[in-house]
Amino acid sequence: MIRFYKKNFIYKIYLWLPIIILFISVLNEFDFNYLDIEYFSFNFPFILIFYFTLKENLHFDYFLVFIAGLINDVVIGLPLGLSSLSYVLICSFSSYLRNITIRPNIIKDWFYFLFVISLINSINYSILFLVFSYELNLTYYLVNNFFTFLIYIFFTFIFDYYLKGINE
Amino acid sequence: MASSRDDFVIAIRSAFLKKSNKQKFSLLTLVFLSIVIITLSSFDYKIIRQTKNIINEIVYRSSLIVSYPENFILRSIDEIIDYSTFYERYKKNVLEIENLKSEKISNKIIRSENDELKALIEDYSLSNDKILAKVIVDHNSPFLKSLIINKGSKDNIKIGTNIYDKSYLVGKVVEVNYKTSRVLLISDFNSNVPVSIAPSNIQAIVSGNGKKSGEIKYVKGNYLNDIGDKGIAYTSGTGSIYKSGIPVGKIEIIENQGQKTLKVNFYSNFDQLKYVFAEVYSEKFEISEKKNEEILETESLTQELKITDKLKLDLLNEQIEIYTNTNVRLLNENKDLEKKINDLNTELSKSLNTISSQKNIIEKNKIDKVELEFLKLNLIYSKKCKKTFSNPKGFKFGTKKYRECVINKGKLQ
Repeated sequence: MIRFYKKNFIYKIYLWLPIIILFISVLNEFDFNYLDIEYFSFNFPFILIFYFTLKENLHFDYFLVFIAGLINDVVIGLPLGLSSLSYVLICSFSSYLRNITIRPNIIKDWFYFLFVISLINSINYSILFLVFSYELNLTYYLVNNFFTFLIYIFFTFIFDYYLKGINE
Repeated sequence: MASSRDDFVIAIRSAFLKKSNKQKFSLLTLVFLSIVIITLSSFDYKIIRQTKNIINEIVYRSSLIVSYPENFILRSIDEIIDYSTFYERYKKNVLEIENLKSEKISNKIIRSENDELKALIEDYSLSNDKILAKVIVDHNSPFLKSLIINKGSKDNIKIGTNIYDKSYLVGKVVEVNYKTSRVLLISDFNSNVPVSIAPSNIQAIVSGNGKKSGEIKYVKGNYLNDIGDKGIAYTSGTGSIYKSGIPVGKIEIIENQGQKTLKVNFYSNFDQLKYVFAEVYSEKFEISEKKNEEILETESLTQELKITDKLKLDLLNEQIEIYTNTNVRLLNENKDLEKKINDLNTELSKSLNTISSQKNIIEKNKIDKVELEFLKLNLIYSKKCKKTFSNPKGFKFGTKKYRECVINKGKLQ
């Protein structure tokens, strides 16, 4: 297991790692949302935001999540504020689940995540199609939704490992 | 019942309104802020546009920096592949250049003819300056097939500016900032390009399919069945969205369960774009009614035709020069070949001499072999064949009959 000397610079970076990864993933040209593989894509920021809000990571600032959403909109070319709204809504749903949960259960979290991403993607699709008259591929949304749900559990294990590093 | 509703309300309030440790804003504030931004961004006010431009500039530059390691790795892989296939491509390129040289000449002639015809149909003439632009962000988005280039309003780029990869159509500018612009690729769902399909010149509209190709969504009139496989689609210029005559792609007919789909394979590979050309228009003159009359005057027409003829003549001279050069090259090649034939003939005669001398040696060897055989038998059968006191039937040593006797292994005839 990784051990850090607290107040060390690397330790600080490690604490802020989820936010850093979020910013890199929205700024980078490489996007899991578009892997150029037919019928396979997933939304990495959704997984990251849901997980770390659920675990109440102190360094996972909602305002920074909001800014990451704005950047994502600019880079992808979506109407400004749409990704921010999606990200902040994920934070809200995740935060709600945290407040009502006494005994956390990974399977319950997982299926709640499916509900949340389905809802957020529906909102996204509706706004883009109805308000901004975008031509969209519905199959893409369904495939993306499904794989984001499937891959969530895999990333949960990786993120758990990361959190262990902080707690020890 | 009441207490469970209270719990729900408390949980909602806690999730949306309560600021937990180190959180500067409550989630409800941020949700409202997002909705306000979405609403504002749909309005086209100057201040919103400028703010958006500033945000875009900052984010595009940041994205370029963040994407640098990834781009570096991808570039390195491409370079390695390039080096490994360098020689093969060189050979292909040499052949291609030869073909292109001759094609260039005919293209020039066609272009001059085209200009001449345009002038005749009173079209307006535009001096187009193609400026080179670098693709700074090529973010593959499932929602919008677009890329960001490093030229903006400062370089006279406007919304609708045509973007090319070499001479192939890539897309048009949909968002202009001060030093950057967003280009909507023709492969995007929202992109519609009016085209003419050669050779039958059928008017149609090509729409992107969100992948790497396009589809023909609309054909003017009932000419759908007249479109052949591998037809060439080029812009028709209808609607003045794109300039006319720009190559777009090749038609591929796909038949699935009796349903015919016309796919357009674009000439340009949008994933590999590093540099593109933006066509910046500066109108030389728009033909007004007054100028129209002037153009219709016989003198100016004659002048134009003279200029075109001169241009044609120059091009033909250039073509003759190329043919002369080719002839000289062929003559030189012929001389070389003649020399080679002479050399080969000399080598052939030498080889024939060598063969005859070797044949002689072989013959000699055969005679020696017979003599050796005789000597071997002589050692064994000389007693039987030699005429002695005890063998009066024998022959005298050295005679022909003696030799025959020895060869017949001592049998006296």
